[in-house]
Amino acid sequence: MRTKQTLLALLTLLVCSSLMFAGTVSGKVTFTGTPAHMKPIDMSKEPSCAKQHATPINVETVVTGANNALDNVVVYVSSGASDDGKVPTQAITYTQKGCQYIPHVLAMHVDQEFQIINADQTSHNIHPLPKVNIEWNKSQPPGTAPIKEKYDKPEFIEVKCNIHPWMHGWFVVLKTSHFDVSKDGGDFKLPDLPPGKYTITAWHESYGTQTADVTITGNETKEQNFTFKAKAY
Amino acid sequence: MNSLKPMRFISAGLFTAIPCTAILGLFLAIGSTPRAFAQEAPDVGPKPPVVVKPRESHIGNITGHSADGKSDYRRYCAGCHGDYGDSNGENAIWLDPKPRDFTIATFKCRSTLTGTLPTDEDLFNTIGRGLTNSNMPVWNTFTKQQKADLVAYIKIFSPRWEHEKAGTPITIPAEPAVTIDSISHGKALFTKLECWKCHGTHGEGDGPSASTLTDSKDNPIRPYNFALGKNDSRFKCGSTNQDIYKIFMTGVDGTPMPSFADVIQPNDAWDLVHFLRTLQVNRHSKENEVLSAAHGVIPPYVDKTPAPAAAPADSKSPGGGQ
Amino acid sequence: MRMWAQSHLWQKPQRLNSVLAVAFALTILILGASTSANALPAFARKYGLRCSACHESWPALNNFGLKFRDNGYQLMNDRDAPIWQNPGYWPVTFRITPIWHRVSRLNQVDTYDSTTGAITGSTAQRINSTGFDLSGLDFHTGGTLEKNISFYVLPSSDSTGAFHFESVNARIDNIGGSPWLNIRLGRFELNNLLSEKRTLWLTANGGIYQTYHFSPVGDGNIAGQMGANQFGMEYMGHSVDDRTRISAALLSSNSGNVGLIMGANSYSGFFTFDQAFDAGKLGTERVGAYAFVGEAATYYLTDSSGGAGAVPIPGSGIGNKGFSRVGFYGQFYLGPHFDLNVVTQHGSDNAWFGQGYGDAIATDGDGGATATCSSPVNGPGCPPNNTPGTTLPVGSQAPTWNGYTFEARYVYSPQLIFKAVYEAERMSQQATPGTPSNLGNINNYSIGYRYNPYMTSRSGFAYFGEFNLFHQDLTGPINSAGNPTNVNTSELLFGIDFDF
Repeated sequence: MRTKQTLLALLTLLVCSSLMFAGTVSGKVTFTGTPAHMKPIDMSKEPSCAKQHATPINVETVVTGANNALDNVVVYVSSGASDDGKVPTQAITYTQKGCQYIPHVLAMHVDQEFQIINADQTSHNIHPLPKVNIEWNKSQPPGTAPIKEKYDKPEFIEVKCNIHPWMHGWFVVLKTSHFDVSKDGGDFKLPDLPPGKYTITAWHESYGTQTADVTITGNETKEQNFTFKAKAY
Repeated sequence: MNSLKPMRFISAGLFTAIPCTAILGLFLAIGSTPRAFAQEAPDVGPKPPVVVKPRESHIGNITGHSADGKSDYRRYCAGCHGDYGDSNGENAIWLDPKPRDFTIATFKCRSTLTGTLPTDEDLFNTIGRGLTNSNMPVWNTFTKQQKADLVAYIKIFSPRWEHEKAGTPITIPAEPAVTIDSISHGKALFTKLECWKCHGTHGEGDGPSASTLTDSKDNPIRPYNFALGKNDSRFKCGSTNQDIYKIFMTGVDGTPMPSFADVIQPNDAWDLVHFLRTLQVNRHSKENEVLSAAHGVIPPYVDKTPAPAAAPADSKSPGGGQ
Repeated sequence: MRMWAQSHLWQKPQRLNSVLAVAFALTILILGASTSANALPAFARKYGLRCSACHESWPALNNFGLKFRDNGYQLMNDRDAPIWQNPGYWPVTFRITPIWHRVSRLNQVDTYDSTTGAITGSTAQRINSTGFDLSGLDFHTGGTLEKNISFYVLPSSDSTGAFHFESVNARIDNIGGSPWLNIRLGRFELNNLLSEKRTLWLTANGGIYQTYHFSPVGDGNIAGQMGANQFGMEYMGHSVDDRTRISAALLSSNSGNVGLIMGANSYSGFFTFDQAFDAGKLGTERVGAYAFVGEAATYYLTDSSGGAGAVPIPGSGIGNKGFSRVGFYGQFYLGPHFDLNVVTQHGSDNAWFGQGYGDAIATDGDGGATATCSSPVNGPGCPPNNTPGTTLPVGSQAPTWNGYTFEARYVYSPQLIFKAVYEAERMSQQATPGTPSNLGNINNYSIGYRYNPYMTSRSGFAYFGEFNLFHQDLTGPINSAGNPTNVNTSELLFGIDFDF
């Protein structure tokens, strides 16, 4: 009896510890130096989009914020996680609005379904350009149903619209479900990390990749910042 | 005599120098690899690995084998498509459009949905039909067996053929009659689906987005100009109405032309085909005959789909229910 | 100093020779070591295809190249018009073939008295000659002037550097959009499937097809030479895939001589028809038939007013007599490496030709008159002229013969081809009764190879080696016993063929 109880208690402890003990890695992504000037986009060829922007939006290759914050950086666990392969079930969407992709970078897990929505009055064609995954190209007129897709291999995929050549975005397909995209001041957060040693990778479409090693021992929130060197072009 | 001395030196020197330089030059020129003659393409990187696993193709009752296609590929195809099937043949840098890159296994002319592999028959037909307005010849002098063997051979260049099955060919319903209403509906679709953004309102390839189009390898590309040519005007992927149907229902993969399979109903698609034929203004076609019978004017489209029947009224009341 | 310079000058050539020898040997080694085959002169440069796409082994055409030519040198991809070419593009190919060869032949040789030095008689003696040589130089230029209009010009020189225009013609193709309507006008090679101008052979007797040139001994007919480019107009039609081909040419019977120096109104026709079949794993098989029928002059009017005897007047030839060459031809692919070409012929010349008439205007056979005979008509040294009052010897017959050509090729790869030819010409009826029935019969054998070690995208290069054995009955020199010998000539030939 007592043995059984002890065993059960230990088992519960072990199970719960993995649930109870879940740390977080969070931080800020910033840049040093002077980023290249992002040109404003001329949408005059698509009046229905141009009028949605009081002032023209800029090219989104480098999106910065206050205090040298760098947005649209994908921060993810590149090794150490034991639950790679578990496909998150949350719905993620990629919206074409104002002839812009929102979000500019969509991160997803391998085989995670995502929806592409056309919220504009004009047709778009959604044309991702993978090198490893399969390339397809679909037309999405306004008012038509969302397109549901998924990718089965990890890859950083450029996305474009042929009709509106200024539209440019990314699908980032990852093996891990522990990822976030920096926004609102360069902040990111990777919660639900069981104790262990992790390698965290930060990727920016223009400034490249950086890695850092982080160890989680319990419930703590580890701060990990990334600083990218801005390119002049 | 003194004045002759320098001449002899010079002539002696020249006598040696010129032939020796010529020989040396010949040495260097011929001794370098043949590829050094041709200007290296800017993006030539490490050669992709060639999967040597033998492949087969099945077209009708003919089976093609990749081992039997190798010699024909070297003879006929490798000059453009490259010895590794990566579109880096020695002449590829002078060609526009570029030859197909078999390592990616993305093909323009298919009967299968966008993003899926073509059937063996699609590839077989492409070889025999060639691609107009490109350097891909019409290889209709091959035997069927040769074409089948070549289809099998090009499959060795991409690992996709290993795990992926070819897509399912789309079903093409029977073509309805060509009427002015069909053409009118087609025109309405052309406008609504914004085909004119690239192809232009008269289908001449001069739409507002036409000049910025690039293919999936970032090479500039023009949209199809329907008004070109006369009775011989062909599309990249054939010349029949069924071929046009397939083009926009499967998309021309690798190019800006997307698939409209998710957004057009099959019968509506036939209406669009009929309208597109009228854009080929110099071609004799049933569609152009119907259009000239209507005095060359396409009436605005009126949606004639019947309204859903109203709920049946009280059966006692006369004239109800309609 | 001067002495030094002089002696320096003396030593130079010897050292240069050894440098050259080493350089040559090394060059051959380096060239032999390369393996990749890329390639093109003129047409290939325009379209980006390798030489091997159109040529089974350059210059012999394969089915795809045959279709390209039958389409008027067009790929039919809507990019054939010259506007699609880079403005700097120049559609010219040079072909040069320097060789080394050894020729062994019988000659009529004087015998000398070794003490007095006087000529004592004549005998047939074998002479063997070897050396480096040049077999010829061709400039090919051709291609589209506009969509469906093309041209071909081929100035060709013989080994002495004397030029003539072997081909000068223009074509209009796909008239009315139909591949069945094509016209060619000018001087061109006849529509022979086994093409002599595109032959893989270069020896003197192996480099021509005997079946295309055979003429009975003493025959004067200058027409009927299938292997000589002719002046005329040709209609040609073919199916879209070139599997069915038909042609009919109207030619002047002047064997390619310019200036209307031969018959006043002598014409002949050359007709072909062939059909190809898809034979599955074997390949494509093609069978066809041809007929070369026509007439040529036997009587040239003469003019004695110059005081040099009755000189035949060029362009005055009348007294047309008929001739024919008919037969079958085929090209059979037996698997991916082996193919066999066959040509058969039944030839027949009018009895007047058999007796030597028809050749009163002496020509070089490929460019023009070399001399007009100025001896008295029918005098010694003059070709016979069928002037009024001339009669044929009693019993004269129309000479007829049968000929066969078999050419086999083993294409090991697009770079290496082995080939062999056997030709037989057999007289079936001699022009003069009592003549030995085998007079003039030919057996011709050749074997050889061509190897393309590399081809850049601007030129072609091949090593080749051939051996030819030519045998003809009773046409050799007279031996010391006074009897005609058989001709047995052999030629061993090695060389390089380069074209740019």
